[in-house]
Amino acid sequence: MQLRISDYLKPEVIMMKLKQQEKIAVLKELVEHLVKNNLVKNGEEFINALAKRENLESTGIGNGIAIPHARTDTVEDLVLAFARSSEGVDFSAIDGKPSHLIFLIASPEDKKSEYIMALAKLSRLLRRESVRKMLMDAESPEEILKIVQDNED
Amino acid sequence: MEFKNLLLLLTDDGDEEIITPCIQFCKFFRCKLFVLFVIEPFRVSRLASLTHQQTDKLLKVIEEQGWKLLYLVEDEATENDIRTSLHYEEGNMIKLIKEFVENYDIDAIFVRKKEEAKKLFVSSPVMVIGL
Repeated sequence: MQLRISDYLKPEVIMMKLKQQEKIAVLKELVEHLVKNNLVKNGEEFINALAKRENLESTGIGNGIAIPHARTDTVEDLVLAFARSSEGVDFSAIDGKPSHLIFLIASPEDKKSEYIMALAKLSRLLRRESVRKMLMDAESPEEILKIVQDNED
Repeated sequence: MEFKNLLLLLTDDGDEEIITPCIQFCKFFRCKLFVLFVIEPFRVSRLASLTHQQTDKLLKVIEEQGWKLLYLVEDEATENDIRTSLHYEEGNMIKLIKEFVENYDIDAIFVRKKEEAKKLFVSSPVMVIGL
């Protein structure tokens, strides 16, 4: 299956500077932004799904990256969002470091394959230090999108 | 017998069938599941040479497959309320396993029985459950 992350990541859901710093508050900030952009129908339901997963495992995959994610029917299609935090957020990452680059993924219950594929592609992409650095240095949502487009293959 | 922390070892030749029994085991013993996908670079080079593929292209496919397996385990674990920790590593499998056992207080290792796993049965510092 050929899935491109950049097909799902839109400039309007790229947040260059998070206001919140605590994990659940950050998730709320991101979800509220998605609700405002009509990509999530029920924000509370989605936050609960994300929080359940956060309680069972850390979505901080190390190297300053967190990928909070959940399957929920409060979205109609695969949804991706990005947020950056200069201070960093404690996602209880496996390397103990704060997360600065946060990609959020939501998928309807019946799109498990696309959901798993998006998680896998994103995790692979973000293992590259050069990509992480470019994402940290980018100055606009369009630039973030271009970095993803140019580096996913 | 009590198990607190279980390690599921996944490698590059497809181990999906081991996921469900491993999750059921964790559910029964209420243990935390550490999932480790290991790429051994020398195996990738050897496989690329044997199958006339470019190493970097093959590595890309294996990397993606590895992350897919990790998230498949995580998704099923979440449905069963099992705590997980996902890890993707490149290096020597036995060395990495020994580090994991020590660092995360692993009680047992789940692995699919195959040729490559033989060395694990011999050298593992904890119980190995082969399926």
